[in-house]
Amino acid sequence: MKKIIEFTLNGELVEHAVDVQKTLLKMIREDFDLTGAKEGCGAGECGACTVIMDGRALNACLVFAVEADGHDILTIEGLAVDGVLDPLQVSFIENAALQCGYCTPGMIMTAKALLNENPTPTVEEIKEGISGNLCRCTGYKKIIEAIQFVVEDQPV
Amino acid sequence: MKSFEYYNPSTLKDAVGLLKKYGEDVSILNGGTDLIVRMRDGHSEPKAIVDIKGIKELHQLVFEDGRVFIGGCVLLNDLGMNDVILKRYPYLSQAALSVGSKQVRNRATCVGNICNASPLADTATPLMALDADVHIYSDKGIKTVPLKDFFVFVRKTILQPGEIVTGISFKDDPDALGIFYKMSRRKEVDLSTVCSTVLRRDNEYAISFGAVAPTPIRLYKTEEYLNEHSLTEETINTACDMAESEVSPISDIRASEEYRREMVKVMLRNSLTEWL
Repeated sequence: MKKIIEFTLNGELVEHAVDVQKTLLKMIREDFDLTGAKEGCGAGECGACTVIMDGRALNACLVFAVEADGHDILTIEGLAVDGVLDPLQVSFIENAALQCGYCTPGMIMTAKALLNENPTPTVEEIKEGISGNLCRCTGYKKIIEAIQFVVEDQPV
Repeated sequence: MKSFEYYNPSTLKDAVGLLKKYGEDVSILNGGTDLIVRMRDGHSEPKAIVDIKGIKELHQLVFEDGRVFIGGCVLLNDLGMNDVILKRYPYLSQAALSVGSKQVRNRATCVGNICNASPLADTATPLMALDADVHIYSDKGIKTVPLKDFFVFVRKTILQPGEIVTGISFKDDPDALGIFYKMSRRKEVDLSTVCSTVLRRDNEYAISFGAVAPTPIRLYKTEEYLNEHSLTEETINTACDMAESEVSPISDIRASEEYRREMVKVMLRNSLTEWL
């Protein structure tokens, strides 16, 4: 069974007929070829599939695509504006905050939502903020530093 | 995952009509953070899904007529971060914010946490201690049931086909002091090994534990004992021993029965000691 939904994907209004049993993650990966968000655990433990819906970070593997109807979805692919990377993306590159890279899109989207909510988090708040994202290369130190770097870079 | 009919009604009446039509073959979709995992793993294969998030009245978190009402679709993050809840019911806020990850809590709801009827539902112990009521809508109207009578067994509630929980409410009592404890293997994103809320109103106590019985429970005998005795190190010792006799934990992947029994004593002692 398919259902027609209308939603905003990375700033663009789209209309799409989607299988009702498809998760939001499967839809953005398979139907829109946006493969930044990854399926890690598929159960809300690892955060590799994190995208932002209406300004809030969530696990795209735990949402049916049909539930996106009428909502605003932002994925890692929509973060750069006119080819200019988001400060978080720049910082992750500059600070070498990735090893295998599998968790990186989810990590950055979680950090993006965190900074939108709290532009000046402490290290503890950053740690708590990204606690729903696992990095199995265990490169947390550099990830935290990369987020801190953006915080420190902001005009006070 | 098997296909299903997807419905997103905008009224309770329409939702109940659909629930009755499909009987046992339908699942209510709220936050979905539990349902989708169970469907993915093949534990649940509903023929139809009724998404209740389009029903506006279920999104209310209101403080009215001397009661706090948490609507069916109120998110755990919105409950936990609510200014009034933070101020008057910090233990409920802590419980709400201890469920899963931030991402999960941006979808998962307090009422969903309760309706799943997990023995270790984190928001169950503060709500049990607060003597919360569950409001259930059906085509016969609204009925109100005490939360303690709502749970039947592991993952089983009294809910019948065609019934929807519209919300949970409790008496607005800012003077009640509460302490929430969550014992888990790691600080964030983990299930409770044992969880508890101990509430004190003047010299009356309410004690609720999770993950030590098939459902979240109240420890009435221990409460009665504490209500009749003033708080001393000695009465705390007796209360802890009584509490241990009131629980019936099992051994599972997270902890052994013995460990859970010990933790009940430790958590109750730590909570009561705060008021010595």
